[in-house]
Amino acid sequence: MKLSINKSRSLWWTISCAITLAGIISMVISWQNPEIRAPLRPSLDFVGGTRLQFERDCSKPGNCDRPIDINVVREVAKDQGLGDSSIQIVADKETRQENGILIRTKNLDRDQRTKLQSALSEKVGTFDEQKNQIDTVGPTLGRELFTSGVIALIVSFAGIVIYLTFRFQLDYAVFAIVALFHDVLITTGIFSIFGLVFGTEVDSLFIVSLLTITGFSVNDTVVIYDRIRETLKINPNQPITEIVDDAVNQTLGRSINTTLTTMLPLFAIFFFGGETLKNFALALIIGFAAGAYSSIFIASTLLTLWRERTGKSTVVETAGVTDTSLE
Amino acid sequence: MQRQRSLLALILVLVIAALVFSFKYPAPLGLDLRGGSQLTIQVKPTAQIPQITDRELEGVKKVVEGRINSLGVSEPIIQTVGVDKILVQLPGVNDPEQAERVLGGTAQLEFRLQKPNTETPLLAFQSSRFELKAKQEELKKSQDQAAINKNLEDLKNNNQAIAELFESTKPPLDGQYLTDAYGEPTQQGNNWNVAIRFNQKGGELFAELTKNLAGTGRSIGIFLDNELISAPVVGVEFANTGITGGSAVITGRFTAQQANDLGVQLRGGALPVPVEIAEIRTVGATLGQDSIKSSIYAGIGGLILVLIFMVVYYRLPGLIADVALIIYAILTWASFCLLNVTLTLPGIAGFILSIGMAVDANVLIFERTREELMAGKSLYRSVESGFYRAFSSILDGNVTTVIACAALFYLGAGLVKGFALTLGLGVAVSMFSAITCSRSLMFVAISIPALRKPELFCPNLPGSGSSNQAEVAK
Repeated sequence: MKLSINKSRSLWWTISCAITLAGIISMVISWQNPEIRAPLRPSLDFVGGTRLQFERDCSKPGNCDRPIDINVVREVAKDQGLGDSSIQIVADKETRQENGILIRTKNLDRDQRTKLQSALSEKVGTFDEQKNQIDTVGPTLGRELFTSGVIALIVSFAGIVIYLTFRFQLDYAVFAIVALFHDVLITTGIFSIFGLVFGTEVDSLFIVSLLTITGFSVNDTVVIYDRIRETLKINPNQPITEIVDDAVNQTLGRSINTTLTTMLPLFAIFFFGGETLKNFALALIIGFAAGAYSSIFIASTLLTLWRERTGKSTVVETAGVTDTSLE
Repeated sequence: MQRQRSLLALILVLVIAALVFSFKYPAPLGLDLRGGSQLTIQVKPTAQIPQITDRELEGVKKVVEGRINSLGVSEPIIQTVGVDKILVQLPGVNDPEQAERVLGGTAQLEFRLQKPNTETPLLAFQSSRFELKAKQEELKKSQDQAAINKNLEDLKNNNQAIAELFESTKPPLDGQYLTDAYGEPTQQGNNWNVAIRFNQKGGELFAELTKNLAGTGRSIGIFLDNELISAPVVGVEFANTGITGGSAVITGRFTAQQANDLGVQLRGGALPVPVEIAEIRTVGATLGQDSIKSSIYAGIGGLILVLIFMVVYYRLPGLIADVALIIYAILTWASFCLLNVTLTLPGIAGFILSIGMAVDANVLIFERTREELMAGKSLYRSVESGFYRAFSSILDGNVTTVIACAALFYLGAGLVKGFALTLGLGVAVSMFSAITCSRSLMFVAISIPALRKPELFCPNLPGSGSSNQAEVAK
């Protein structure tokens, strides 16, 4: 079986554009949403505030007999002037019973926090100190985190362009970056949709996942490019469409197997891992899938199109020589 | 073949050394895995100090250290981050309330006057304080929380008792009048002194203070956050005028280290910069353990599936890759221990992902070997060119990943850094394990005649994949 990816390239491009567009539309809607006012639903990490998680101590007799009434919790919060906070009842890990309370509010200082905690514990039961989770993030810190993340992303893109230009040629590097943007956009787009539909929030780990996706996806693209370069060296006169098709097909087994082997631990973490890493694993799964797709269907076909247009299919370069005569 | 065998022996030695090392010196666990609180303190510039420099940050850090030590938390980590932040990690502290209370607010430095006729009690208190502090250090190692708390209580009472022996000048000579303090070597050059400088108003107050004390044997009490940090006496020669000119030298048999410490402490105490707690994160100890356990089990489960997949799909080479992968995991883990990388949850994620990268290298090599076999080359030649030809792909792929890691490491903070470090280290080790290790193993394997069967390398060799064969044959 041979896949002629260049034959139906407009189909591949349409699929990518459709998904990317859906993501962009979702980001715009999300921006208009008065509750979110950002392309993605930001977590505490970026906007600041206080997040409290308490869990009842069920080893004490009678403490967990009645289920927690969310209205009681709301009432308590309202009494303290925190009526607009988001409140959730959450299940604990061992018993799967709803013994936990998750509250997200504006920045609370120590006194406000202790007051809230003791008021709550009076109404719903004693909390297990060992399981308390208190996070407070100042708003400026969140902004710094965001900018440093975005700068890291841009710098790594630039580094990759320089390296690929050096090892391959400028046009290879440019299309690899196009593919990277594609992967990052699709991942953020899908998370924006998740934010609208399920209320999924993005935290600082999301930026980490975007950077990892960048590293992996470019790896996929490079393997295919490496094949194109190798075949071009052996058969400089073969049409570029054929060369690219062959390169993709020869590396297809590898692309599938590598994606599969990387995805296996990720799926395991997603389904069975700790709460903290769930969304991280999910972002990587989406990003790696997009990365494998863009390497096979986008970066290669764009390169073909470009080389067809510029008639440069026969340029042969050895590794390490930069292309200065592209025009 | 001799070369391959000695390489294998070397790898074996390395693996054993790595195992021994990682059991002996395990990598420290990050706060998110151990449970505890993390506070980020931001130092705010003021009208007087519009720019926070290293010198100021260092001073504030000293103040923070003093305050944290008064809490008696075991193994606190206090470090400066960026230009204006101090990170405080308190393992095992679930309720950061106490820490918050002591950390906020501006430092209180004050020069006080010793009350008359208190010389003997002061000496007694000071010597018992010395003993209590020594005991505190002992207790910290023992982990006996009750005894630590008891000792802390004693120390606090002792502090209080000492403080009562001193009185404030009118108006109090506090940190706002101090302009500088630093350690400097004495004229003879053997010992170190601490020089202090006051502004004009401070100089006048200081002259007044020293005039009252000169020659009496009573001392100036220098208090930081209400704890006596130094108690110099004033020589009789200043009895008429006091120490004038707004500068003085505290002599004593200071080492360079002690003099500098006191200087930094004084400077920090004098800083009018307010500190603000910008971020608090706490993870309950059991919560940390829950997530580490389930994430590690999940990761290991996923990896076992990968190992099985490799053997089923790639046969003998798959088995060799699995061995190389296990060697990889051991070596990488040991390198974390060696470099004392603090393991956080994202760090473990980076490690698991780097294992994926290591597998990729072998997948590339074996796919290539298969292609060569299908093109009709001999087993030995196929294996050889599989490694040779896959190398440039592996190198380019890994270098780009390392570029992304480097950007993350230098520009990112906290969590992001840990992730970048483990992933980057992992990629570096994988270049060795996936190429050198599996290559040596492979050549030793094909030197055994029983294993020299192409079908162990590639199922249904002729027939299937005929189109592929045609491609490569061109």
